[in-house]
Amino acid sequence: MASKYVIGIDLGTTNSVLAYSELGEELDIKLLKIPQLVAENTIEARDSLPSFSYLGTSAEMENGTLDLPWAVEREFAIGAFARSRGADFPDRTVGAAKSWLCHNKVDRRAAILPWNAPPEISKISPVTAAQQYLEHLVSAWESEFPDAPIREQQVVLTVPASFDPVARELTREAALAAGIPSDFVLLEEPQSAIYAWLAQQGEQWRKKLKVGESVLICDIGGGTTDLTLISVDEEDGELVLRRVAVGDHLLVGGDNMDLATAHSVSQKFAEKGTTLNPWQSVSLWHSCRAAKETLLASAGPDTHSISVLGRGSKLIGGTISVEVDKNEIASSLLDGFFPACGINDRPQRQPASGFQEIGLPYESDPGITRHIAAFVNAHCAGESGEVKLPNHVLFNGGVFKATEFQDRLLQVMSDWNPNDGSCMRLDGTHDLDFSVARGACNYGWSKATGGIRIRGGVAKSYYVGIETAGLAIPGAPRPLKALCVVPFGMEEGTQTDIPSGEIGLVVGQPVSFRFFESNTRKDDAPGFVLDQWTEEELGETDPLQATLTLENSDETFVPVKFESRITELGVFELWCVGVNAQGQWKLEFNVRDE
Amino acid sequence: MGLMAASKAFFKLLFNKELSVSFQQLVDGKLQPRIESTPKKAAPKPEPKPNRSDAISLLSALQREARFVDIISEPLGDYSDAQVGAAARDVLRDSGKVIERMFALKPLTEVEDGASIETPSNFDPAEYRLTGNVSGDGPFSGNVAHHGWKATKCDVPQWSGNKKTEMIVAPVEVEIS
Repeated sequence: MASKYVIGIDLGTTNSVLAYSELGEELDIKLLKIPQLVAENTIEARDSLPSFSYLGTSAEMENGTLDLPWAVEREFAIGAFARSRGADFPDRTVGAAKSWLCHNKVDRRAAILPWNAPPEISKISPVTAAQQYLEHLVSAWESEFPDAPIREQQVVLTVPASFDPVARELTREAALAAGIPSDFVLLEEPQSAIYAWLAQQGEQWRKKLKVGESVLICDIGGGTTDLTLISVDEEDGELVLRRVAVGDHLLVGGDNMDLATAHSVSQKFAEKGTTLNPWQSVSLWHSCRAAKETLLASAGPDTHSISVLGRGSKLIGGTISVEVDKNEIASSLLDGFFPACGINDRPQRQPASGFQEIGLPYESDPGITRHIAAFVNAHCAGESGEVKLPNHVLFNGGVFKATEFQDRLLQVMSDWNPNDGSCMRLDGTHDLDFSVARGACNYGWSKATGGIRIRGGVAKSYYVGIETAGLAIPGAPRPLKALCVVPFGMEEGTQTDIPSGEIGLVVGQPVSFRFFESNTRKDDAPGFVLDQWTEEELGETDPLQATLTLENSDETFVPVKFESRITELGVFELWCVGVNAQGQWKLEFNVRDE
Repeated sequence: MGLMAASKAFFKLLFNKELSVSFQQLVDGKLQPRIESTPKKAAPKPEPKPNRSDAISLLSALQREARFVDIISEPLGDYSDAQVGAAARDVLRDSGKVIERMFALKPLTEVEDGASIETPSNFDPAEYRLTGNVSGDGPFSGNVAHHGWKATKCDVPQWSGNKKTEMIVAPVEVEIS
């Protein structure tokens, strides 16, 4: 059945958005109004759905407090109400589920959230949480467009560029469970931001980007920072965009900044003799976000007053305010999160303590500029190996509403290579909150109508660990080698046989391979074997596993070779193919913790 | 009866006289249990009936998001201008956000205050209010004293509670220690 709409979904760490357009001659992107609980029994339609899940009480279920137009006797709430309940009931509120999806120290299909909640709360898994947010969006869509069920539409779902294949697979699993059609496409968020810019520019973009130039996309969301580098090339006389590199998954974002401000402002309240309760702390957090945006806007005021309203019904008498001045905020936020640094500075790793709680692996260095320095140093080499700064920077994410952050970042980067001209902000109007969903929508539309596409393939190279044969030394693991199975840049819709010796696999028992990825080894061909590596070069993710079965055969082991595939939809698959045509078996990621 | 079902029954009974009588009869064996087919998670309910006035929903939103009811219910005489101003700044900002989101207000005319304007000849008095020397049928020309306001939408939250709670603007907040 022909699709009527193309739908772009931004499943964000803190907010989710759905944008759509009719699949017609003209791209006309609109945002879906998402009905959601904003208070008990109260439903309002908003442009974004906060990605929070509140696990309700039985009283709330019995009274229909959490009911939605499409669901009765609800035991949980998604969206604005869930977020606001987070302040009162952190034990019942799931947040940042997306960051948990790519945290490979925990079993992401296990009911572990809210993290550290007491045993009487029935927890949910990170995958279930993602599924719930998507189900909510699907239901909102279908109640708005009952004649255009989502399974018949073209859907593009965005993921962070830094998501590893496991996190992508889990996202896919959640999406399919939520009723999104199986031919949906995963698109990387920073690319999506570019597509939003392209949609807004129309054909003008060809005048603004030149062959040989590059664009750094700096996407700072509520909880995460994502970096991507795009180059502008020429092919058959046509300008093409190519995604050259993506950065690591950085767990630092706007929320950290607002919390940092709230922390320093609460000291001021303490000096006035006021200790804030949890409810007031949350309202302070929101006020600090507003203060950041006001004070750090270009030509913003020098001081801003932050008030915390009295908790009880006596509002005016209980209100206390403090003055915050621009220099204070600027020095704590600009120098804390965007410190001046050299191109050779690197993020500082705190020495790990003996005992570390698992929790989310928040960045130990919040200095985003140092993370960018490491990224630019690794990926922006000129002809003779010198650092060649990106020509343009595209900012994305609500954090950059405080425009001084943009100015600071451009300044720091321009100082890295004073002879190389300067990095310029990419021209045009930017919708910092909604561009990822809009861009996803434009991508789907371009894909259907033959518009501009960003080339790139896989942004990393992947390896499986092979234990070398040889005499076992008691107490010592066998030496491990890494076999390259996916080269950097392998294109969607292609497959490749991995040249290697035959690997004997036991039939009927689970076989497991360690799995590694690299951001920096761009020249390894399939079949290339590494004997040793540093932790910076190759990072380990979840192992791959399969159980080989053979029908009508009493073979106990099969010699196989690997074959890797990147599907049209951008999904990575690794297959073991029997050398003597005994069959083929797909390896699946094992996300359980050992 | 499972523990969950039993406690649910208990709470239902607590608030339902009629049901508690029949439950007693059921326990005493005077009443045969009526078997009702309760379709589980069948077709979603039709649109929840907004059985309370939008005005209450609006008031409730203004209180929830901006503490509007609190501030107008306080005797202003007890406080200095500075105190009132400090509290009002936040309440006004947040009330404005609520009103903007729900009504997206726009000036009724694009002509600025003080500039001259000409009315159509057959205008609706709801659209233009004339003051001063008015005679004849128009069209009239004069200066805009106020540009007027118009809501470009009206998206007040839907409400799905019950009769008992429909007039509640804000719940009692209780901190459990």
